[in-house]
Amino acid sequence: VKLAYYPGCVAQESGKELDMATRWVAKALGIELVSFPSFSCCGSGFIDEANEVLNVALNARNLAIAEKAGLDLLTICSTCQGMLTLANLRLGDAKVKARVDGALRPLGIEYRGTTKVKHLLQVLTQDIGLEAIRAKVTRPLDGLKVGAFYGCHLLRPADEMQWESAEEPHSFEDLLSVLGASPVYYRGRVMCCGFPIQFVKPATASKIAGHQIDDAKAHGAEAMATPCPLCHISLDAYQNQAAKAVGHALDMPVLHLPQVVGLALGASPDELGLPRHLVSTTAVTDRLRARA
Amino acid sequence: MAEETVTATFDIYRYEPGKDAAPRYDRYVLDLPPHTPVLTALLKVRAEIDPTLTLRYSCRSAICGSCAMQINSKSRLACEAAIGPELARDGRIVVEPMRNQPVLRDLVVDQGPFWDNYGKIQPHLILDPRHPMPEGRENPMTPAEVDRFKETPRCIACAACYSACPAVEADPAFPGPMALAKLYRFVVDPRDRAQQDRLVRIQTEGLWLCLRCHLCTEACPKDVRPSERIRDLKEMAIAAQGATEQGSRHAVAFKENIRDRGQLNEMKLARQTFGPIGLIAQTPQGIRIARKKPELLHAPHAIEGQDEIEKIYEALDDGKTKEDLP
Repeated sequence: VKLAYYPGCVAQESGKELDMATRWVAKALGIELVSFPSFSCCGSGFIDEANEVLNVALNARNLAIAEKAGLDLLTICSTCQGMLTLANLRLGDAKVKARVDGALRPLGIEYRGTTKVKHLLQVLTQDIGLEAIRAKVTRPLDGLKVGAFYGCHLLRPADEMQWESAEEPHSFEDLLSVLGASPVYYRGRVMCCGFPIQFVKPATASKIAGHQIDDAKAHGAEAMATPCPLCHISLDAYQNQAAKAVGHALDMPVLHLPQVVGLALGASPDELGLPRHLVSTTAVTDRLRARA
Repeated sequence: MAEETVTATFDIYRYEPGKDAAPRYDRYVLDLPPHTPVLTALLKVRAEIDPTLTLRYSCRSAICGSCAMQINSKSRLACEAAIGPELARDGRIVVEPMRNQPVLRDLVVDQGPFWDNYGKIQPHLILDPRHPMPEGRENPMTPAEVDRFKETPRCIACAACYSACPAVEADPAFPGPMALAKLYRFVVDPRDRAQQDRLVRIQTEGLWLCLRCHLCTEACPKDVRPSERIRDLKEMAIAAQGATEQGSRHAVAFKENIRDRGQLNEMKLARQTFGPIGLIAQTPQGIRIARKKPELLHAPHAIEGQDEIEKIYEALDDGKTKEDLP
C-alpha cells in the first residue's frame, strides 16, 4: 500500500506524537507514506464557515497534488478526512467547480477528482485488513477496556462520508478487539468532543468533553482512543478543564489511533510519543509491562 | 394466512416526576410482525396491558412530528421505526423519551424551551412598510427563489435534532438546530426585509455555539440537514457584519492564519482570536500544554507553494458567499 501522506497541521506541530506513531505503524505494516511538503491546511471546518468556496479550492489544490502523483490520500485526522471528502463532493456542483477552476487554472493546477481520501482507520481495517494486523500483534492489550471515540467528521454526514453507519459504527471496535483490547460501547463514542468551540466558549467546550469522558468511564473504559488529533486536544490537553467543568477528576488516558496499534505491535512508549500527553498513560503501559 | 410474527421485548422508560422516586424500565413482551412500527406496539401495550403508559402521537404517518423518542438510544419517529431491524441489531427495544427536555411523564417531555427558542428567531415574514404586500394578490416567488430554502421547508418540528444536540445539552444559550434551520429559511426568503437584522442578532444569540458535529443532520427524520444550513448562516453573518463575535472572529482568524504560511500557526491563532487581553486568561493552560508540547510556541515553516495559497486567496476571498455565485 502506497499513499500520499497528509498529516494535517496538528500532527506536525503540537500533536507530533500522532505523526511519530503513524510512521512507526506504517513501517511495521508495510504502508509506504509519500510526503508532500506542498500540502496546505484542510481548513479544519473554520475556513469552511468563513468562506466555503475558498475552503473547497484549498482542498482541491491538496487533492490535485496527490492526483498528479497518482496516489490516494491518507489522512490521520477525522476533521481533515471530512474536509477533504467534502471538497471532492462539493466540486460536483458545476457552479462551485467553475469558480474553483477559475482560481486554480492560472496556477497550472488541475483537479480531476480521481483521488480517494482515506483515513488511517479505513486503511487499517479495509486495505491492510484485521487478520494481517492480528498476525503482527506481539503484545496483545491484555483485555484493556478501551472506549473508541470516532470524531464527528469521520462519520457524519453519513450519506456524504459514504463509509459506515454513523449511529452504529464498529470498525474501531473491531480493530481494538484484534489488538487484544476489550472495546467499550457507550453513547459518547459518536458524539462531539467540544473542540470547535474551544476558542469560542471554552467552558461549554470543556463541559461537552467532560460528558463524553464521563460516559466512557461509566461504561468501564480504562482508556480512550481517537482517530482525530482535535478530539485528542479536547480529551487530553484540555482534560483538566473538562474535569473542572463536570466537577470531578477524570484521569482518563487518551491514545491516538496509531498509538494503540503501535503498543500492540510492540512499539515502546517513547517511539509512540506517549510521554508528550498531558494525562499520564502509565496506567496503560504499566499494565502491558506487567503482563510481559 | 396469518403473518409471521417475532417475539419482541420492549423495555419502556416509566417516570412520573413528583410521584416516582426514580425512573424505571417496564418490560413488555409481545408477538408482532417484524414490520410493526414501535408506535403501534406502544399503543397495543397501552390498550391491552397498561392504560397509564403516557406518550405523545397524532398522525401515525411521519408528518405531525409528535412521536419523536429515543429508540435504542437513537432519535426516531416511533411511527416510522419498525421493530424488526431494531430487534435484529439489539435483540430488544429500549424506548425512552427525547433528551435535553425535562420529562413530564413516561415518554412525554416538556417542549417549552424548544418552542421558546423557535419563537425567538421570529419565524414569520417581516415586511417593510415601504414595500407593502401587493394589494389583492399573493406575493409570489419564482421557483429559483423557492430552491434557496433547500430542504428546510420539510421540517416537522419533531425536536429529534434538539434531542441529539450536544450543544443544547451543555449550554442553554444555544437555540438548537431546528430554530437555526428555520431562521435560515427566513434569511433567504426574498420577501423578508429583516435579513440583515436577523443575521446580526443571531451572531450574539448562539449561532457560534454550533459544533458542526452533524448529529442533528443524522437525527433528522426528514433530511432537513440543519448543520449545513447553520454553516450557511455563519458565512452569511460574516459577509453581512464582519467578524464581530468571538465565534466569527475565530473563523476569520483561522482563515487569515492559513493565508500566511499555508498551515496553522497555533500560537498566533490564539492571539488573533482572543486578542491581547483575552489571551491572558488562556495563558496558564497554554503554558501547561507547551511544557509537554513545545511546538505550540513555534511558528511553522511556510509550505512549498505558499505563493499559490496567496493567489487562491486573492481570487476567492472577496467577501462573496456561495449564495452569490452566478
